[in-house]
Amino acid sequence: MADERAGRILAALGGADNVVEIEGCITRLRCELEDGSVVDEAALKQAGAHGVMKAGSVVQVVVGPEADTIAEDIQDLL
Amino acid sequence: MTGAGRVVRSPVGGTVTALADVPDPVFSQAMVGPGIAVQPRGGHADAVAPIDGTLTTVHAHAFVVAGDDGAAVLVHLGIDTVKQHGEGFTLHVVKGERVRAGQPVVGWDPDAVLAAGYAPVVPVIALDAQQESLQPAPSGSPVEAGDELFSWGG
Repeated sequence: MADERAGRILAALGGADNVVEIEGCITRLRCELEDGSVVDEAALKQAGAHGVMKAGSVVQVVVGPEADTIAEDIQDLL
Repeated sequence: MTGAGRVVRSPVGGTVTALADVPDPVFSQAMVGPGIAVQPRGGHADAVAPIDGTLTTVHAHAFVVAGDDGAAVLVHLGIDTVKQHGEGFTLHVVKGERVRAGQPVVGWDPDAVLAAGYAPVVPVIALDAQQESLQPAPSGSPVEAGDELFSWGG
């Protein structure tokens, strides 16, 4: 279920309080976080992420072509 | 499976480049699918649809065309160009529109992308495809917009 996946991804990113901004970009979620160190990569992969790229507080989660939809679902949870 | 497979056409004119040489791990490691890239030549041009189908995703800097069988091709105009927020890109289509291969989708200028500090290389990805199902054009060969870039399946 899409909503469930959005919730799992959000939890793995450290929860709504940790998210500054999240944006879908074709194949990936671009996330600006308060604290990038709390990201649970294993949980993201369990939630269906193909890959995770971290650069400090900016984390990109590669989720495939449904990224825009997932980003909208996560926005609804924030 | 018989026949020659689906022809995926180049969205831009330039030089065929291995996906592995694209400076973005999502593409170079084929995280969302295999494909090939085109190093575009400079100057303002229209990026065209690679296959017949429906535009399922449209951003200024990237779009996805899905064929009637669900097979979808992603075209990404430059790397990290989402940060340009559409500046310098002119959309000729809307999400949900049907397009034919070769139809103009987005006007852009690779020189302007380069001047803004981004790589203008254009990955063309067969979403969720198997690497061995693609027969790509050889790297280094010149290509025009609308020319065959790779065949998929068959």
